[in-house]
Amino acid sequence: MSQVKVLGELAVLDDVGPPRRGRAYPAAGATSALLLPAALLLGALVLWPVLRTLHASVTTDGRWVGAEHFRAALAAPGTGAVVGRTVLWAVLVPAVGYLFAVASRRWKEGGLVRLILLVPVALPLVVTGVTFRLMYDPDPTRGLATLLAARLTGRADDNAPQLLGPGLVTVALMSAFVWAWVGLAVLVFRAALDRLPPSLADAVRAYGGGRRHVLWDAQWRPLLLRTVAVVFALVALGTSRTFDLILVMTPGSVRDDAAVLALRVWQTSGGTTTGQGAALGVVWLVAVAAGMLVAAFFVRQAWPPPRVEATPGPAPTTPPPRRLFRLLAAGGAVAWLIPLVVLVATSAHGQVDAAARGWWSAPPGTGSYAALLGGGELWRALGFTLLLATVVTATVLVVALLAAYPLAWLTGPAAQATGLLLMAATVVPVQVIAGPVNEVLGVVLSSGTARGLALVHVALGVPFAVLVLRNAFADLPAEQVRGARLGGRRWWGTLHRLARHNLPAVIAVSVLEFVQVWNDLAVGLLFSGPEATPLGLFLAGQSRGFVSNSGVLAAGSVLASVLPVVLMVLARRQLVAGLVSGGVR
Amino acid sequence: MTPAGRVTRRTLLRAAAAGAAATAAGCAGGSPSVQVAVVWSGSELDRFREVVATYPHPVRVVSAGNDIDAFLRARHLAGTSPDVAILSRPGLVTEYAARGWLRPVRPSTEYAVPIGLSDLLMAGGQRYGVWVKAAHKSLVWHLPSMLPEQPTSWDGLVSLTRRLGALARRGAGPAPLAIGAADGWVLTDWFENVLADLAPTAYDALAGPDADWQGRPVRDTLDRLAELWSIDGAFPGGGRRALLTQYEESVIQVVRSRRAVMVFEADFTAEVVGRFRRGPEEPVTFRFPSAGTGGGALIVGGDVAVVFADARGGVELVEWLTRADSFQPWLRAGGYLSPNTTIALTDYADPVRRQLAREMRGPDTLHFDLSDQLPGPFTGSDGVGIWRIMQDFFADVTDGVSAGEAVRRATGQLAAAARDAGGGR
Repeated sequence: MSQVKVLGELAVLDDVGPPRRGRAYPAAGATSALLLPAALLLGALVLWPVLRTLHASVTTDGRWVGAEHFRAALAAPGTGAVVGRTVLWAVLVPAVGYLFAVASRRWKEGGLVRLILLVPVALPLVVTGVTFRLMYDPDPTRGLATLLAARLTGRADDNAPQLLGPGLVTVALMSAFVWAWVGLAVLVFRAALDRLPPSLADAVRAYGGGRRHVLWDAQWRPLLLRTVAVVFALVALGTSRTFDLILVMTPGSVRDDAAVLALRVWQTSGGTTTGQGAALGVVWLVAVAAGMLVAAFFVRQAWPPPRVEATPGPAPTTPPPRRLFRLLAAGGAVAWLIPLVVLVATSAHGQVDAAARGWWSAPPGTGSYAALLGGGELWRALGFTLLLATVVTATVLVVALLAAYPLAWLTGPAAQATGLLLMAATVVPVQVIAGPVNEVLGVVLSSGTARGLALVHVALGVPFAVLVLRNAFADLPAEQVRGARLGGRRWWGTLHRLARHNLPAVIAVSVLEFVQVWNDLAVGLLFSGPEATPLGLFLAGQSRGFVSNSGVLAAGSVLASVLPVVLMVLARRQLVAGLVSGGVR
Repeated sequence: MTPAGRVTRRTLLRAAAAGAAATAAGCAGGSPSVQVAVVWSGSELDRFREVVATYPHPVRVVSAGNDIDAFLRARHLAGTSPDVAILSRPGLVTEYAARGWLRPVRPSTEYAVPIGLSDLLMAGGQRYGVWVKAAHKSLVWHLPSMLPEQPTSWDGLVSLTRRLGALARRGAGPAPLAIGAADGWVLTDWFENVLADLAPTAYDALAGPDADWQGRPVRDTLDRLAELWSIDGAFPGGGRRALLTQYEESVIQVVRSRRAVMVFEADFTAEVVGRFRRGPEEPVTFRFPSAGTGGGALIVGGDVAVVFADARGGVELVEWLTRADSFQPWLRAGGYLSPNTTIALTDYADPVRRQLAREMRGPDTLHFDLSDQLPGPFTGSDGVGIWRIMQDFFADVTDGVSAGEAVRRATGQLAAAARDAGGGR
């Protein structure tokens, strides 16, 4: 911290509280220029493509056709079911996450449980899809879950319940999705719940409120107000991410029985965004925008938000953990590990054994790893993905730090408006804007699609990074800001010092961005050139002939998961701290 | 500034510099090599790389996989189309040609393909593509020990399926047929073989702009499929299970786990057999049985090479690919069936392919895979178009819906899909 004493300035700074910090730091014209890289990226690769998609939804080859595409898209058989299923997905994750978080408040020793919940969050969804398809294989001699279901229902092997069949496929997909994402939802809700002062619940009880009232008045309402933004981001992300899972997990014959909007848009217009595909995309965007407005209505609070006083200690009313709860927690953790065991066990078999028999009935071997590591394709995919994720993460971090710095000092409606814009940019599904983004890439880069792919990743990663970093900057205590202002001669000195105070947020953004790019399938599918295949696309390509490739797929999935899991586990403290400081409000 | 801070920043800069250098190197590699985007992957891709390695100029082969249409559209939007593309659907050739994306090609004098194939690649009197690889799609595979006597007619196949199906229901033997109904193209191949046998002229009309999908030929074909598919015990685990079985798994059911006796599919089944065969016994094939007395229909699929409008050196490469000796490396390695009839049968190292190449030169009329000629999304992919419709039909007939009702639903869906895609009724 700087030792320079400038008494006058100190006095001024101490007078203004955090809510009015903006007046002490009027954003200079020069710092607004720092927004330029982020604005250019978002303008060209998010805003303009959204406008082009709107245009494409009402035209055919540039000719105005009015609502024709909308009528055709909505009249297509099954559209209602697709929309309904999308909404169901959107409700599922927050609901389950909230329930788990509330339940886990009773577990005092939940560290290990939370760690186990975190591992699936780090896995690429393609890997999750592979894992669950292995478990749900319709043949009871290979699929563990099918075998158990057959035993439980007492049916013959040939008549076993088909978990991937048209009736149950959505349930099967949801189980995989809950397994993968609930850890993140739990973390966010748990952090929010922990921030609620326990005195609130006590007050409700003192006025004669029951359990229901505590839930509503002391948890739900204050929690909803604070976490609605994060919940909403989760919802929107969730509905577009199911795409990866459906593509990998569903055989062609049941794909329609599982389709959501993301998949329908892809099926209708591929990577071009025209006609009905554009119309469906607009429907989706409108839903997201409506959700945004609702979110904006709830997030009416002072900006930057007033600081929470000293973190409240554990509620005195919480009873000591009961044996039942501890057993439940342990049982849940073990159940959460089963899919990972299935994946690793399958990978430890040769290709023929993995395809023809169950992993429990064949002797282990290293054939699948040997076949995978012997071919050059996996190495190329790994190397390319590592390079891509590193470059994208570094670029996103630089662009986002530059933009977050001036944005953090905004106050009032301007701050809320930028927050909303960033949220909106975060939740735009990439499938909806694929065609226009390709047009822009054609103008910007005449050739070389690896650079185009990196650019799209950067543009999609920047809004969330800016959002988190801006919130984290604005959240800094006044004395740290003062020290940075006085110590740094130029804006970059100040920025650098501030970034150091905000290390958890910087690490959180970097790790999340890296893992996001590493785990990606949709962006690679839409924008990658064939000269270099990202990992997700490589695995998804192998899953086309699923059973015959299951050994190699499982081995590839294990290798692809090592790095993201290690990163997430190592950085878990910073992740929670960074996201909570920047995300919860 | 702390040492830690300095290191972090330097590593960041270094990483960014490395990335920039790598991407720069990536585009500096654009020497005068010809870029070819292909549908193949895996061993087929390796074999094709061996083929073009003997071309006098450098050729860069990139695999776009089955989604090559989406890939080429995206590349066209971005203005970075490859020089040459190898497509699996002739419908795409005429579609791209009509949009002006392609340049006409001229095959070498050693290029000759069976009647019925070359016309598919013409648009406006110009030839926009040449055939470079063929697939024989009228084969039924089985192990000789599992089926001593092959059925010689459609009725023979149906009665054999009934007999074996009854045994399988009692648990006294394997199911008669394996079918990869999770992959829609398997079902469309069944449909095409029966249709080409029943009504060859209607087959060709269905690919045209005024196809009649509710006419008698289509209904008769579906009726016949329903007759076979609805037999109880025909498929291991029943119809619902078959709809979750992919093509490769259906081959495994015949050659490895031996839960089924026969599987119908193309010559490339030999590669799956090679990976999963158990014991020394080689499977054998017979032609898809005909309802009449003839040898049955012959359905072929194939891959086409096209040249994009701004290509450099593409026309020359395509001309070279049509020469009789260009594909020698692949012929020697096996697993390749050429559409080019000027290639000597003795050049085939692989006896199965040699026999099939002989059949393709026989007096029967060839029919090109119908679903690959259909327009727009009607052509089918997972959950879309004719793939989805045939799967619905399969689900209906194996689930006890009466044949008449199932056929009525299917023809209705086919006609609607054809109308939406801009061809037929």
